[in-house]
Amino acid sequence: MVTTVHLLLERHRLIRKLESIALLSHAEKQALLALPVTVEALDANTTIARDGQRSRTCCLILNGFACRFKSLSDGRRRIMSFHTPGDITDLQGLSLNVGDHSVGTLVPTTIGLIPHESLHELLQRYPSITAAFWRDTLIDGAIFRAWLVNIGRRTAQQRIAHLLCEMTMRCEAVGLSRDDGYRLPLGQSDIADALGLSPVQVNRVLYELEGCSLITSHDSSVAALDWEGLKRAGEFDPAYLHLSQEEAA
Amino acid sequence: MTVTLQSVAIDTDCPDEEGCLMFANERLVAALVRLSDHHGDKAGYWYLEHGFGRLGGPYHPVFLDLDAAQDWAVQRLVDVRRN
Repeated sequence: MVTTVHLLLERHRLIRKLESIALLSHAEKQALLALPVTVEALDANTTIARDGQRSRTCCLILNGFACRFKSLSDGRRRIMSFHTPGDITDLQGLSLNVGDHSVGTLVPTTIGLIPHESLHELLQRYPSITAAFWRDTLIDGAIFRAWLVNIGRRTAQQRIAHLLCEMTMRCEAVGLSRDDGYRLPLGQSDIADALGLSPVQVNRVLYELEGCSLITSHDSSVAALDWEGLKRAGEFDPAYLHLSQEEAA
Repeated sequence: MTVTLQSVAIDTDCPDEEGCLMFANERLVAALVRLSDHHGDKAGYWYLEHGFGRLGGPYHPVFLDLDAAQDWAVQRLVDVRRN
């Protein structure tokens, strides 16, 4: 019984994620909750989908944290995005047959694999859900553009502050709040691989941000302490996250 | 190839400031910094703060000591000259 309740709560993160960017009717929410999902519990640093792989399912993050990445020829990892509970990491698989990047867990993560067939059927029956997923994909693009600017033109401190602000807001949008003690499960190597920095640079910046009381940082997690100060440090404007149902209407 | 090292203080805007400039044939090829205590198990290691020419780029390795840093640098510099 406890497991069932938890699963329902975790599936609700998908609803919360979509409702943070779109309006859903009761019937649409029920249809999403009724999707067939194969649940898998994965260890940290597990590859969910490999670059070049074909898949017949979409991966919903139920709890934990994941990333999309490419592996370079020398073995180094380049993280291209982070994913919170409620994110479907590979909606593009509904249209693009072959993956062009890998997806992996950062911490112990539970995923829900949803058959493409079931999603196609759902999207045909509910045009508003199609619109919500399309909007999610477009926002994905906006986030990539913001990352391009962040990595291409900001200092190490600004980059890290900006990333922490973005992930804090995205987590709060799905009910994972700093006020409830939630900490971003990002290690220094994860931040380094995402922002094109070395772990040494990341360590220095986190030390500096802690010294300014903008964040608290442990070995593998970070949390904002001074939210307004952190936003200023990262030149963060959340507009690109489009976290507004009103905007979607 | 003649490699020489010169101790120097480097302003990294953090406690890491013990530095070393590496020259190859009297040309500056790298600036390294010794990692201070706040780098945990990497404290005392030498970090490639900035490389020049063949040692430049996005890769910033960490070395156990300056001998290891020198070996790494020479290998990369010599390989270029062979090509």
